[in-house]
Amino acid sequence: MTEGLKRVLLGLAILSLAFSLVFVACKKKETAEEAEAAAKETEEKVLISMATDVGGLGDKSFNDGCYDGLKKAADELGLEARVVESNQQTDYIPNLSGLAEDGSEIVFAVGFLMADAMVEVAGQYPDTYFAGIDIDLDPANAPENALGILFKEQQSGYLAGVVAGLLTKEHAGASPKLNDENVVGMVLGMDIPPVERFQAGFYAGVMSVNPDCEVLSVVTGDFADQAKGKEAALALIERGADIVFQIAGLTGVGVINAAKEQGVLAIGVDVDQNHVAPETVVTSAVKGITQASYLTVKSVVDDNFQGGQNRTFGLKEKSTGIAPFHSFDSVVPQAVKDAVDKAEEAILSGGVTVPATRKEAGYRG
Amino acid sequence: MSSLFSILNEDLIVATIRLSTPITLAAVGATICERAGIVNIAMEGLMIVGAFFAALFAYRTGSPWVGLMAGVVFGGVFSLLHAFATVTLHLDHVVSGAVLNILAFGVTRYLLVLTFGHPGTSEPIPVSLAEFQLEIPLLSDIPVLGRALFAQTPIVTMSFLVVALFAFLLFRSKTGLHLRAAGEHPLALETLGVSVYKMRYGGILISGLTSGMAGAYLAIENSVAFTEGMTGGRGFIALAANISGGWNPIGSFLASLFFGFADALQYRMQIIRVLAVPSEVFIMFPYIATVIAVAGLVRRSRPPKAVGMDFMIEAEGDWRG
Repeated sequence: MTEGLKRVLLGLAILSLAFSLVFVACKKKETAEEAEAAAKETEEKVLISMATDVGGLGDKSFNDGCYDGLKKAADELGLEARVVESNQQTDYIPNLSGLAEDGSEIVFAVGFLMADAMVEVAGQYPDTYFAGIDIDLDPANAPENALGILFKEQQSGYLAGVVAGLLTKEHAGASPKLNDENVVGMVLGMDIPPVERFQAGFYAGVMSVNPDCEVLSVVTGDFADQAKGKEAALALIERGADIVFQIAGLTGVGVINAAKEQGVLAIGVDVDQNHVAPETVVTSAVKGITQASYLTVKSVVDDNFQGGQNRTFGLKEKSTGIAPFHSFDSVVPQAVKDAVDKAEEAILSGGVTVPATRKEAGYRG
Repeated sequence: MSSLFSILNEDLIVATIRLSTPITLAAVGATICERAGIVNIAMEGLMIVGAFFAALFAYRTGSPWVGLMAGVVFGGVFSLLHAFATVTLHLDHVVSGAVLNILAFGVTRYLLVLTFGHPGTSEPIPVSLAEFQLEIPLLSDIPVLGRALFAQTPIVTMSFLVVALFAFLLFRSKTGLHLRAAGEHPLALETLGVSVYKMRYGGILISGLTSGMAGAYLAIENSVAFTEGMTGGRGFIALAANISGGWNPIGSFLASLFFGFADALQYRMQIIRVLAVPSEVFIMFPYIATVIAVAGLVRRSRPPKAVGMDFMIEAEGDWRG
């Protein structure tokens, strides 16, 4: 191949690439315009959407939980649900704006880290509703079209802690996967308030039934890296932890896998994660993301969306708690189940105040 | 402070090896590639391609071994783009590498949606390579190093062989000499009748194969699914490892071990809370360690003389033109 011929071929290749890009871009615009016209004429399905946090879909907990809520609402109320993935934190604003531009009735910002992005985009699109999962809106400058959805994760953490605290020592004979080191561990994605609430609650729960237990924590710094979760869990298991509580979204799937490989137990988070590893996940500290997102969509459809504030979901709304034991139901002793019920009653009646921060719980972390 | 010693145990060494494996594989590949004269900054992209295809094939066929082969092969195939761009088209090595990195992330994302129906994370594979733990009877009982070296999962064990193989190949074989010549004084090699182009293609292909294996490790041995961006910067750490290691397979291996050690240490230091600082400080630790290592060793490290310089047979005069 001569130099000249090579140059010509390269030039042609670049030109055709450029042309095809322009072609695709133009075509896209046409379709969008056509669609808008069609929507105005015919009955178009109302669009509801969400932007995920960096863990993305497939995290088997947080983002998946919200998407399930949207899908449920879409199925029941005849809507169209759309989801956009955020790969990094700089994607938040473009993703949220894009969904508002697409004409979504309500846009869910899924995750504490999206707080600033959501407030900013909500200000730019006053005709679109916004709901933020785990987003704590400042009542002083919360946009009227935005709602913050918060949970009392510490309650779920507390109940999970009761289970872990009892299983790891007093009832260690219930399963061969438990040892008598009296150590439990937690793997955190990032040290943000919702995660800290789980952590503080868990510690308090363990202490309430097993004050001598050693409770260890590791922060991976990432909600989307299974390898880091696995490594953190392995480090905890090496120190004798026989129950590992994952508070780390997709990273936590690695935690569960590590627990499975090493033959110890795990506690899932956000949704019932027993299906991830049925012989390993004894229970999960749940928060009703699916239910909360479904109810919020319903409020938009029923035209009684109350924005400009936060709504906190807890035990009273049946939005926090622990998941069923599934295959572990026969393994977990009745005494443990009774202790959980007792703790739940105590929280509801006000007999026990569950700490929401490490400081309140007296835990160094 | 006594608890600091409690984490210096055998488990730490096993973890070090485990964490350094993907970096070792990519770094050794980079060593071979750069020794042949081609700068390769695309390890990150090659790894993610390998990871994706390993997960895809392991998922579709049910066999992680097929997945492993697919990861290696597709890593190699993708690296041929870099080879074509730099050797045949004489384009800038760094530009080509950067483009390949971006292309890799885009292609894997697109294919992920195409094959699994959604972005983010693929479905978990039915059987992971982690279930095939090797345990050589007598050798794995050696104290301290036994479990770390002789009782690991498949790709980890293979990585030792890869290091040994390429250390031997590069310095004790004729092909290795030719490879190094392609990176030191390609004109001399060409006058011997050995094709510099072929040597460079070979070098790049090898880096593609090993980086593909590194990606396969991440997806189907260290994890059970493919997640977008799961390489997490390890390709660039491998680049640093290659440089700190002095463009030498054994050096790359040791530099990768150093990073793996810092990473393994970080988790354990968090657990015992050796210092009352925010956990983010510990998370930074391996990367700071890498920066210090590279800064300390980079002056003593001598790259191949002709690395990054284009070689064109038809060019007049000195190859430095």
